[in-house]
This record gives sequence, C-alpha cells and structure tokens, in this order.
Amino acid sequence: MLDIPGQVWQRVKTGPLWRSLFRHGYPDSRKNQSLAVFTNVFLHLHPVKVRRHALAIPYTWCMGGLSFFLFLVLTLTGTLLMFYYRPTTEWAYSDIKDLETVVVFGQLLRNMHRWAAHGMVITVFLHMVRVFYTGSYKPPREFNWVVGTLLFLFTILLSYTGYLLPWDQLALWAVTVGYNIAQATPAIGNEISFLIFGGYQLGPNALLRFYVLHVVALPLATGFLIAIHFWRIRKDGGISGPL
Amino acid sequence: MTAPRGPQPFPGQEKRLRLLAFVRQDSVVRVDKRVEDTAMVWPHLLVIEFIAAMIWSIGLFAIAALFNAPLQDHATFDCTPNPSKAPWYLLNLQELLLHMDKGLAGVVVPTAWLVFMAAIPYIDRERVGVGRWFTNEVGKKCAILAAIFTGVLVPFLIGLDAFIKMDRRVTDPVTGVKTGWPGYAEFASQYFPGGRELIPNYVIPIAVMIALPLLLVWLCKRLFGAGTREWMIAIWTGFVVTFLVLTVVGTSMRGPGMDLYAPWALPATHQCFAPPPGG
Ligand code: HEM
Repeated sequence: MLDIPGQVWQRVKTGPLWRSLFRHGYPDSRKNQSLAVFTNVFLHLHPVKVRRHALAIPYTWCMGGLSFFLFLVLTLTGTLLMFYYRPTTEWAYSDIKDLETVVVFGQLLRNMHRWAAHGMVITVFLHMVRVFYTGSYKPPREFNWVVGTLLFLFTILLSYTGYLLPWDQLALWAVTVGYNIAQATPAIGNEISFLIFGGYQLGPNALLRFYVLHVVALPLATGFLIAIHFWRIRKDGGISGPL
Repeated sequence: MTAPRGPQPFPGQEKRLRLLAFVRQDSVVRVDKRVEDTAMVWPHLLVIEFIAAMIWSIGLFAIAALFNAPLQDHATFDCTPNPSKAPWYLLNLQELLLHMDKGLAGVVVPTAWLVFMAAIPYIDRERVGVGRWFTNEVGKKCAILAAIFTGVLVPFLIGLDAFIKMDRRVTDPVTGVKTGWPGYAEFASQYFPGGRELIPNYVIPIAVMIALPLLLVWLCKRLFGAGTREWMIAIWTGFVVTFLVLTVVGTSMRGPGMDLYAPWALPATHQCFAPPPGG
C-alpha cells in the first residue's frame, strides 16, 4: 500500500513516454553524466568534459556566459514589451507611459529590459578585455576573435537603436548626436544618414527603422553570431588555457 | 532488469566501436592528458552556470525593482536639451568629436579601430603565453606603463584642448585693439594654411593619434624588450584606458555647451531651450 507512489514512479520511468524523453538514467555516473550533456539540445553546446582550468572564475570572470544570459533575458523581456509597444510617433511615447502606469508589472518589465541592456554592454566589454589579456585570441582562435569584434559592435548597435524607441526627449536628442555623426561621414554623409534614419530629420521613418533593426534584424544577426561563436569555441578546442 | 535505453545494437555487434569524430591534438578531450586535468560538465560546469544565472536573475530583479528606467517628456524639436548627450557607452565618441573633425572622430576613428582590433590575432600569431594573464612579466610591465602613459596623457590632452581653445583677448579701452591669445581656431585661421579646419581638426589630431601609440610601442621595446604580444598588450591597454577616460569625462565632466566641469560641480542639464512663445 505504502509503496504505491514508488511503484507509479517506477512505471513512469520505465514507460515509453519517459524513455522517449530521457535516454539515460539520473546523471550520477560518468556515463550518464556524459549522456545527459550530449543528448540534450541545450546542454550539448557544452563538451562532456572541460579542462579544470576553464572552470576557474578568476580566468573567465564568467563574462561570456553572463553576456549570453543577458542576451536571453533581453530577448524574453523584449518580446514581452513588443506586446505593448507601437513604433509610431503618435503611440510610442504613450505606450511606454501606459507600461509604467497601466500594465501590470509593466514598469518592472521595462526596467529589467533597460538595465539588462546596459549590463550587457558592460559584460561584453569586460569579456573582451579578459579574452585579450589572457591571449585567448591567438591561433587557433583568431576567427572567433573576429566574430567577437562583430558581436561587440552589434551589442552597441542593439543598445543604441533601442534608445530611440521611447520617443522621449532623452531618446530624440541622444539619437540626434548619432545623426549628426552620420551626417559627417566623409563623402557619403547624406546618403548614409538617409539610409539609416529614413530622412533628413528624425521622424516617424527613423523610429520605424530603428524599431525593425532593434527587434528583428540586429537580434537575429547577433543570435547567429553567438551560435557561430559557441560552435567555434568547441571546434577550437574549448576555452583556452596554458599550452 | 530494465532494457538498455536508446537505439539497440544489432545482435552480436554490441561491443563494436564506430568512428564518430576526429579528435584533434589540441581538442578538449586530449588523449595525452591526465584524467585529473578535466572535469565533467555535469555537474561541475552546470552548477556554476546555474548559480551564476540565479544570482544575476535575482540581482537584475532587485535593480529593476529599485530603479526606474528614465522617461522624460515627449520628444519635441522645439526644445533642445543643453547639453544633448548620447548614451554613456557612446560618450567616448562624443567626447572625441569635440577635439577633431566630426567625421574623423565619429566614423573614421572607430571604424579604423574595429578593423585594427579584428586584425590583432593576424598580427600577433605567436601561441606562447596563451591562457596566462598578461603572458609574462614583460607583458605586465607593458600594461602598467601603457595604463600610466595613457591615463596621464589623455586627460592632459583634453585639458590642453580646453585651455588653448579659449579666447583670452583683451580689448584696449582706448584704441579698441584686441591683444592676446585669440583662441586656437581663430589663431589657425589667421596663420595656418587650411584655416580653422585643416591643421586643428585633421593634421594635429591624426598626428597625435598615430604618434602617441608609436611612442608607446617604442618605449615598451626600448625599456622592456617587448615582442609583438607585449607591445600589443600596451596598445590594447591604451585603448581600454582611453575608452574609460573619454567615457568618464564625457559622462560626468561635460556640462552645458559641452564645457568642461569638475564632476562634483557639474551643472544640471538645461532641459529645454524653447523658443519664446510666439517667437
Ligand atoms: C554577445 C556577446 C558575446 C557573447 C554572448 C560571448 C560568449 C562567450 C562565451 C560564453 C565564451 C566562453 C568563455 C567565457 O565565458 O569567457 C566566449 C569565449 C570567447 N569569446 Fe566571446 N562572447 C561575446 C562577445 C565577444 C567579444 C566582443 C569578443 C572579442 C572581441 C569575444 C571573443 C571570444 C573569444 C576569442 C573566446 C574564446 C576564449 C577562450 O578560448 O578562452 N567574444 N564567448
């Protein structure tokens, strides 16, 4: 009688549904620990074993991983924000105001997105600094450093395009600084700024362009680059360490 | 006994091995490495990742609960904040804008730096020192020298620029003749070829941006016998310190009119330079 839960559990674990989900027992043996990592689509980004040295926090500062964590947080909170936000000069500002006053937990959501974005710029920068000083860009990791350079650029572009979206004074004039820089591009200033901002003044077109770049183009590109980045870490022999 | 999980081998072939992958010499699971050198990802790495994710989630929640994201008035072109500033991580570029041609500071310099940065591993190809902070003693010395060199010179240059730009002419009350230092750009427009633009906004900044890093590299080679990796450390440190100094100056020392102030005496931004009603 007392054993019924145990028996049910045993049934579930040997049943077809469970076994179609998990192809190994609880990861308490080396074999099952290996299987746990490489039969799981999320975990298999990792190798089964890593060099001990790669676990040391003074070595990586965890900064690459935390950049990725913040990227995920931003994707999640950003998607939720998209439900409440319309990228037009008529609505953008009042939608943000509504988020702060009407939407349940809207303010918290917006705050999380904002601070995570600032945080990601910092973690990516620190990650880059640690990769440099540990000489981790050296062969065979040259190309991953190049991918990283692009990721650094894209992180800043993501942050910057998001900055315009609330369509408040802060946003407008901060982005105006960028507009003036684009205007000053040697030889093609006018064309470049027209391309990026959709006009010769910041207006509805600029807002729409920045929105599309911010929620579709740049996150997709960044996601792809992160996938390549992680793949290359594996292919280059894992985290660098003393030879 | 439960049956083994997953796809089953054909009868009689249970013990046969298949070639699943090539494992290169410097791959993680190195054949010549002792077992103690590696750790299982489950649990050792996953535990670290899990804890880090938890701490950061809680931290982010706390910050988001405590501090609200800024939201000012509805955007309007009738009202220019003074100063208008970019987000902090671009204030380094905005600071650079004050010292040279806009296109040079805002487009050419950052592009050139990103290209150079991407090229670093193709210039410094020696594998020795991978995985060691600063590679060796020489690398450490170069980093320290570069940090001091840049940390002194960049603020000095910013200060110098602010100082020589100022118009310090005095008008003689009787004759009405102005004497004294007219400010750098004015001086250039009178005496230099190319006027206000060429020499102040292009020649001098470009010369400074090329000469100082070269001087730094030369010093590292001369003083410490730096090799490629070591002088690269010096250049990189120069970049990091410049980036930080420019960001801090741009964020906390530039007030109305983008004039230089002490961080503790920084006036508040004039939120609105509105044109007078009806005007
Ligand atoms: C969205 C931004 C980025 C993410 C999510 C990311 C993620 C990661 C992660 C998780 C690692 C594993 C080791 C560690 O955590 O330190 C790593 C390694 C690496 N990253 Fe990034 N990274 C980003 C940006 C960059 C940037 C800006 C650079 C350099 C310009 C860079 C260059 C590298 C290199 C060369 C490695 C290999 C390091 C080694 O083997 O020790 N990454 N990255």
